[in-house]
Amino acid sequence: MKKTVFALIAIATLAFTSCSSDDDNTTVILPPNGVTAPDTYSFERDGNTTVSFDGQTTRIQMAQELVSALKNPLKTEVELDAMFAHQENANDFTDAGLNASNKNLRSKTAASVDYYSANTTEANVIKADFDAYISDQVNTVFPNWADNATAGVAGQIQEAGGGSTRYVNGKGLENNQAFAKGLLGALMVDQMLNNYLSTAVLDAGNNIENNDSAVLDGANNYTAMEHKWDEAYGYLYGNEANPAVPTLGQDSFLNEYLLRVEDDVDFSGISMDIYNAFKLGRAAIVAKNYEVRDLQAQIIREKISQVVAVRAVYYLQQGKASLGTDMAAAFHDLSEAYGFIYSLQFTRIPGTNQPYFTKTEVDAFIATLMSGNGFWEVTPATLDTISNTISAEFSFTTAQAGS
Amino acid sequence: MIKRIFGVVIVVLVVLACTESDDTGSGNTTNDTFDRVAMLTNIADNIIIPAYQDLDADLNTLVASKNAFITEVNQANLETLRTDWFTAYKTFQAVQMFQIGKAEELFYKDRMNVYPTNTTLIENNISTGNYVLSNASNNAAVGFPAVDYMLYGVANDDVAILNVYTNANYINYLSDVIDEMQSLTNSVLTDWTTNYRNSFVVNTANVASGSVNKLLNAYVFYYEKELRAQKIGIPAGVFSTTPQPLLVEAVYKEDNSKELVLEALNTVQDVFNGKAYNSSNEGESYKTYLVALNRNDLVEVINARLDVARQKVQALNSNLKSQVETDNTKMTEAYDALQMVVVSLKSDMLSALNVSYVVDPNDNDGD
Repeated sequence: MKKTVFALIAIATLAFTSCSSDDDNTTVILPPNGVTAPDTYSFERDGNTTVSFDGQTTRIQMAQELVSALKNPLKTEVELDAMFAHQENANDFTDAGLNASNKNLRSKTAASVDYYSANTTEANVIKADFDAYISDQVNTVFPNWADNATAGVAGQIQEAGGGSTRYVNGKGLENNQAFAKGLLGALMVDQMLNNYLSTAVLDAGNNIENNDSAVLDGANNYTAMEHKWDEAYGYLYGNEANPAVPTLGQDSFLNEYLLRVEDDVDFSGISMDIYNAFKLGRAAIVAKNYEVRDLQAQIIREKISQVVAVRAVYYLQQGKASLGTDMAAAFHDLSEAYGFIYSLQFTRIPGTNQPYFTKTEVDAFIATLMSGNGFWEVTPATLDTISNTISAEFSFTTAQAGS
Repeated sequence: MIKRIFGVVIVVLVVLACTESDDTGSGNTTNDTFDRVAMLTNIADNIIIPAYQDLDADLNTLVASKNAFITEVNQANLETLRTDWFTAYKTFQAVQMFQIGKAEELFYKDRMNVYPTNTTLIENNISTGNYVLSNASNNAAVGFPAVDYMLYGVANDDVAILNVYTNANYINYLSDVIDEMQSLTNSVLTDWTTNYRNSFVVNTANVASGSVNKLLNAYVFYYEKELRAQKIGIPAGVFSTTPQPLLVEAVYKEDNSKELVLEALNTVQDVFNGKAYNSSNEGESYKTYLVALNRNDLVEVINARLDVARQKVQALNSNLKSQVETDNTKMTEAYDALQMVVVSLKSDMLSALNVSYVVDPNDNDGD
């Protein structure tokens, strides 16, 4: 993967061009792409940083707390709903900063400009799915928290060898996993790929004109366009201690699962590809080179979509391996798979306005997994079929993603 | 495969970066040969002024039926007053998009159609009898929505409503609000016919203060913020956590709020096509301007999308409040269809016509 990047630079270097103007005979040598990315995601104006994505950090942290709370059987549906659709100054979180925030998760769930601005009807259906995970958790799983789960009946089930206890609904689904991994797509991926990296958002209003003339966004130290790109960055790296130099594994969402995919030798290099594309795209905005910017957005769309798909297939295959021998382990993996499959509808095929799998296709996968008693009776053949259908749309095999 | 394509693209970009710039965006001239004066003349003479004249006549009728009502408070006079109010409200839908000239100067639409109306403020004004209706602080206590409340919402049934009007303060407030609407509208109309029209039609420069720019900005803003969002999106909960049925237009009358949306949508489309007010004759307008720029494709898309939006609105219950409460999905479907038109008007049409949209500060909602 890195070799490819170097190859591209080499090709571009070969294409170095002498641009001479009519006025004088000086020759300007352009760097590759006409844009040079800094070593780290650090951008300044007048000695102060121009990078800002507080809102994304806030939402990732809200999501962390909510996902934990979904496993606290003392929580009420009203409390969990309030954490999802937080109102400014409501006492929903343990963190005072989150409580003071006017941001919330639900309003940005399935809320990208490209996919949902003219599709609020579908967005409402998706939001309602998340409401339903909360409702099912409180009304079906919490009351049976101490009981053993059986086919059709919610409760707890322990992994083999004294392993983790999982809390599932009657179909063997962990609502908290469906919620967390689904939100990874509906919030982080959708906002990043289909909102903040979208030309409709980056170039909204007078953004191009203002970025060209370095007209800043109100009292802020950034142009509106710079900020939009940073907000995309924030959905991946917003919970890092030093976001400019990411270490990964710093949340339970995209940041974590990018690390997991990176750690699979079949995909090593993907995290650097994404980081480099973010850096170069942001540098391109500073350089007012919007073609290079949009090229990086396409790279990010391809790679982030791949992260979602790899994890979906990985968990389907892991779940398949435990079926019949360790049902709790299988249910846990399949619940993660469920969420990542759900998230496929928020992916983006580069150069199109389409996800790799439509909502209709995703709904069909989910319906297949959940038919009858769900994970209690799903077959290895079904898991393979879904795995292969997903892999076929990407540049990896089920075997590469599955281990 | 994709990686290799990217490599090629980069090379192409490097080459492109070295071509002479031929940027023509001076921004204050029109590079086309389209007759802007003819377009402005058609819109002013055959659409805007006739619409204001119609509204002016409707409001004169409303003042008369109001005068009859306050002279003799009875059910029959109340019915006539209500009918005349709604007739005028429907006609008003044809002018709200023209927030330019005197209308802009007087904050006309903010004094005619701010909803939800503030009933606390209205009741407070009534009880003190101490109010200046032209103050901006009273925008939510005047205009069509205030009359909606006065005629349908001040009490639970007609007997009780008629009983309310035994109180002279209520009579006075109703009378003052309606008189204010009539006089405001008359000011806007008079300015058009005596003064503004002639300067409007010749002000063709492509600058923010030019007539084409003002007209299109007002038109797109109205369509997006007031038709799409206020009439449908906000009640459907598109901008909030839950649906807001009480935020529909004409919420106290309730039973045919849909009719106001359809009137608004029809006039938006008629203006696009240059169709004369209450007539089938078409003249120069945004449509012919786009055709002159070889953008028949965009004309077709805009008309097709407006037609789809109309179908979705027509599919709604005539009582939008009830539609939101019983099956909000139909509301969001109407919203989504209306939103498709926003993209065509705001991005595609404005850029095709080389008109800058004066972005309102809320467009880039930072978070």
